[in-house]
Amino acid sequence: MTTAAANNLASCHLCCKLSSASESHCSRCGAPLHVRKTNSLQRTLALLITANVLYVPANVFPIMITDQLGQSVPSTIIGGVVLLIQLGSIPVAAVIFIASVIVPLSKFLIMYYLVWAVANPRQAGLRQHTQVYRVTEFIGKWSMIDVFVVAILVALVHLGGIIEIRPGIAALSFAGVVITTMIAAESFDSRLLWDHLEAEKHD
Amino acid sequence: MPAMSERIACQGCDLLVDVGELQAPAQAHCPRCGHFLTRALNDGHMRALLYGISAAIFLTVANTFPFLTLEAQGLASSMTLPRTALELYVYGMPFLSALVGIFIILLPAVLVFLLIAVCLPLVRQRSAPWLKDCAHLFYLTQNWAMVEVFIIGVVVSLVKLANMADVTLGLSFWAYVGFSLCFTAGLSCLDRFQTWQAIERLQQ
Repeated sequence: MTTAAANNLASCHLCCKLSSASESHCSRCGAPLHVRKTNSLQRTLALLITANVLYVPANVFPIMITDQLGQSVPSTIIGGVVLLIQLGSIPVAAVIFIASVIVPLSKFLIMYYLVWAVANPRQAGLRQHTQVYRVTEFIGKWSMIDVFVVAILVALVHLGGIIEIRPGIAALSFAGVVITTMIAAESFDSRLLWDHLEAEKHD
Repeated sequence: MPAMSERIACQGCDLLVDVGELQAPAQAHCPRCGHFLTRALNDGHMRALLYGISAAIFLTVANTFPFLTLEAQGLASSMTLPRTALELYVYGMPFLSALVGIFIILLPAVLVFLLIAVCLPLVRQRSAPWLKDCAHLFYLTQNWAMVEVFIIGVVVSLVKLANMADVTLGLSFWAYVGFSLCFTAGLSCLDRFQTWQAIERLQQ
């Protein structure tokens, strides 16, 4: 069992070709070559903090405003979930709650934990950590559901002055949360979790 | 072929794995961390090409006809797919409008175009000057399309509106569902490692 880095090889993130670690660009596809993603932990942390900051307006401000017969009713993300429960649509309320609340929050926690795990290497659980990272990376874009729902309602609901739906500022903040956490997950390099095994072999 | 090129460094843990010649259909996973490495399919590029062409047709239809129609108290309003993004611009959110448009229409359209541009030379076994650049862009942007997420968004919207009005699913909605299926299938047929190996063989 030996790694590419231990053999002085860098694997291209775009086309998987193995090149000498001293090359600056992949000879097959032209992408920049790095043995590990550049400044992985710093970038991941910076983007996570950005996402945390954006998460506040995303939940405090209305995600959409319903204008009905001259009355303006703003609703937040949580307000939307509560409304769906009152309407009796428990499964859909659950989908929104998972996509808009559980997924982003668990993504924050997991990514912070993984960054911590790289800084405090252990022998056990590496396989599970890598798998948790994969799931986190995959699941990120599903949080966009709520933003798309707002876009659809805004475009669809125009009933001659009786009822209109306008997008709220939280829709933009929440899209920002989803995108920054997606880039944060993409910036994290799970190979860093494994690197200390190689270093210990040489001690 | 030099034996070297059949080795893959796992993207999950950097382990060097010799996958040899995979006999299609077969998949390889990393023995250490379990991460997916590569997948060889029978006629993978031909299948990807056909899915790509179907997806292009579905997407064109999806952009042409009404997507959803709403009726309440004798009033009706309907929307098309591009309206979903454009209406946000009308309400003073140009940035969000651009993001939604990119995630659900523009990027998927570009990816289908790139998929066809990559598969066509590979199926015909004749290299093309655009092949590498198109493959490069394809693998760079692949993960950012949100076609399936949008469909779930439509379903949630239907439930939200159900007690207030009658909502009818238009032809475009079904075309977009068809697009989503072909798009996902096409993308999964274009394995990163196998495709780049094929491109390299073609250009030697």
